[in-house]
Amino acid sequence: MTDAPRPTPRRAPAVPLLPNPAHGPFLRAPEGARTIFLVTLFAACGPLAGGLVLFGFRAAFVAALAMTSCAGVEWLYFRVTRVPALLGRTHAVLTGLLLALTLPAFVPWYVPVIASAFAIIVGKAVFGGVGHFVWQPALVARLAVAVLFPTQLAVASEALPSRQPVLAQNRLLVGDVLSAGKGSNTVAWRGRPGPKGKDAFLLTPPARVLRGLTDARKPAFSAIVFRRPGPVSRSPAALLEMPPISNLLYGARPGGIGETSVILIAVAVLYLVYRNYVKWHLPLALLAAAWVTAAVAPVFLAGPGPAVRTRWLPLLTDEGLDVAFTYVNYQLLSGELLLAVLLVSAEMTSRPVTTGGQVLFALGCGTLAMLGQLYLDVPVPCYMAVLAMNTFTPAIDRLWRPRVFGMKRLAFLRRA
Amino acid sequence: MGLGRYGTFTGGIDLPEEKNATLAARIRPCEPPERLRVPLATGSGPPAEPCVAVGESVRASQRIATACNGGVDVFAPLGGRVAAFGWIATARGERFVESPAVELTDLRPPPETPETPERVFDWSSAEPDELARRIADGALVTHRPRPVPLARWLAGARRRRCRTLVANVVEHEPYVTADHRVLAEFGPEVIEGLAILAKAIGSAEVVLAVDRRRTGFYAGSIDAAERFGVARIALPHKYPIGADTILAKVLTRRETPPGAETTSVGTAILDAATCRAVFRWVCHGLRAIARVVTVAGARAGEARNLLVPFGADCHSLGDFGDAMVLHGGPMAGLACPAEAVVTPATAAVLALEASPRPVPTACIRCGWCTDHCPARLNVSALNDAFELSLVDDARRGGAAACVRCGVCSYVCPARLPLMYRVQQLKRWILAAASDPDSETP
Repeated sequence: MTDAPRPTPRRAPAVPLLPNPAHGPFLRAPEGARTIFLVTLFAACGPLAGGLVLFGFRAAFVAALAMTSCAGVEWLYFRVTRVPALLGRTHAVLTGLLLALTLPAFVPWYVPVIASAFAIIVGKAVFGGVGHFVWQPALVARLAVAVLFPTQLAVASEALPSRQPVLAQNRLLVGDVLSAGKGSNTVAWRGRPGPKGKDAFLLTPPARVLRGLTDARKPAFSAIVFRRPGPVSRSPAALLEMPPISNLLYGARPGGIGETSVILIAVAVLYLVYRNYVKWHLPLALLAAAWVTAAVAPVFLAGPGPAVRTRWLPLLTDEGLDVAFTYVNYQLLSGELLLAVLLVSAEMTSRPVTTGGQVLFALGCGTLAMLGQLYLDVPVPCYMAVLAMNTFTPAIDRLWRPRVFGMKRLAFLRRA
Repeated sequence: MGLGRYGTFTGGIDLPEEKNATLAARIRPCEPPERLRVPLATGSGPPAEPCVAVGESVRASQRIATACNGGVDVFAPLGGRVAAFGWIATARGERFVESPAVELTDLRPPPETPETPERVFDWSSAEPDELARRIADGALVTHRPRPVPLARWLAGARRRRCRTLVANVVEHEPYVTADHRVLAEFGPEVIEGLAILAKAIGSAEVVLAVDRRRTGFYAGSIDAAERFGVARIALPHKYPIGADTILAKVLTRRETPPGAETTSVGTAILDAATCRAVFRWVCHGLRAIARVVTVAGARAGEARNLLVPFGADCHSLGDFGDAMVLHGGPMAGLACPAEAVVTPATAAVLALEASPRPVPTACIRCGWCTDHCPARLNVSALNDAFELSLVDDARRGGAAACVRCGVCSYVCPARLPLMYRVQQLKRWILAAASDPDSETP
């Protein structure tokens, strides 16, 4: 050891050596939010294509109108308020497409435009844009126009206000749904030529037919039992009055543009599941809850004479398991429930985050949707059920959490 | 005899591995550096007091600073001349800290060590207490991302009577192969070092945990493992299975409470480099003066595993240009400041293509962070807690259980810096726990 000066570095340097650090991780997965919206948009194009085939060029018109006006309203809103529209445009187009899927093809032009304004401004912008809204914008808009324009959304022709059009098979894709003629109620759509000189059949929406079968309390509906009274008929009414189930599967029934084709909706949902944009638990739990509700919730049957019998557990009616099974499936396929599954799968923001929370959410959606379809006289019961459960999303998120590593279950509820 | 296979854990993700360039690259000495700036505070604790003067000439392995108050002595990695005292940056866990350093220049090449150095200490006949003292004399530091003096680490493990001792050679991060090469080339030394530590701690179960896909490299360690009763366990390849708490859970099913060390559940975890350093010190009396560093990445030129003396500049390990230089792996590693030097924490120096940092947008609540979190945290809720400064909510949400793996930030489609935010919450929580009156935001 020498006696040379030995400057001990005690004080930290005046100029910090370390600049503001870039923090890790320095690898990023390739998928961004915009990718998610674009891929979802792509998936939702499947049901739209089905709508184009079944409802003709007017479906394309409605969809284009909804998408452009959503993007336009978004642009206008952020132009006026000067809030930067991060990710906004893509999400707006997606919202427009989802909205268009819920609208029937015969609506006048102003319905999709006003619906788009509702979707963007009321559904999304007032909450702060992408990622902040509570209720799914497309469904908010659908509910708003269902309240504002009840006749324009339900009535396609003055002559038969209870019926709505589907293109005849020889006029697919090119026909005009507004040129519609009367078709049989139980029409086997396949293979039948259209009404003379017209492009489309006017059919009773199957949900309305089912409602008549299950709710004998309402004289407005043609109250009939499952099996017609009297000794003659051997075929259950559920099968006589409803279109064949294959029609419901490929979508030859009245409804929204994307609502009807079950097969295409299933493909879209499965694609989203495959891309991991929705966990399989959510659609499955939703469908299971709806199925069980339809199988358990009471139906009101016209008894012998004027009496109305309340029959719980329609799955186990005297008609036999096969008839009851078909009835339950009809309940699932005839309304807008399947499209509600797709809409819930396509919108991440308004559903809970954790898997358990999503299952809870889906169970609520399915049950409420089926109860609404069975008992409520509202225009879009399934969408209303989704909106109702959206309300509970923050609460579900707060209460349902996975057990954190090294902590007890429900530890987050303790005070200390 | 095959390797034992074990389970997995919830969450995690398969990362692109990027290791092929260096998996089979033998360790070789680095270019002789022009200067070394040897940090005086590698582990936590106060810096050591220098005991040399400017201009003095030092030998390799000569003591150049004496420990004070819980630190460790510092030894010259190479022979040379003390040029100055200064400040450098050393990595400590989730950040770089400034540390005083001794600058050595006019470096001499490393002294020749014989192929098989003679044994100076017979550890098999030593009592555990004697062995622990011997290890403490070595002034070693654990070669982990957050280095601590090995003497202190050993005392903690002994005090808690850790039943399980694990050598973690999983190396779950992309690119990094330093520990893998140490085990592949010096397997018997690593195993014997592990056995020494096991005896000092008194562990009954001694485990060598490796990646399932790389077991073929480790054939050389089988004999030693059987001789010393070390269980060889191949783990599935899923990031972050090498994180301490996750590894302890996978191997022993013991879950570490949030914010605690794995030793609190009786599991001590070390890495291959430390085990080898223990062996070299205890059996041969050789100081730890260098470590193996993986230099890889798209902009690093030839990918290689280098034996680098402590104190070499990280940026001098290759011609990186304007690349993004990282210290450690790309997930849990840090951006390497210009003043960073190689310390026991430096497992890798990576040069990646510098890309503009993505602009974070609003959380779209996709839930991917929660799905992939190995600690099963609801990361999106914690992100809300961060944005609203709800530290108490975050504490009850278990933010302190974060293992700092970075998976949440990796998958986030909104490009939010989630890991950084959860770490920030964790810091606030731990600060509030240690000082209840402190101001949390």
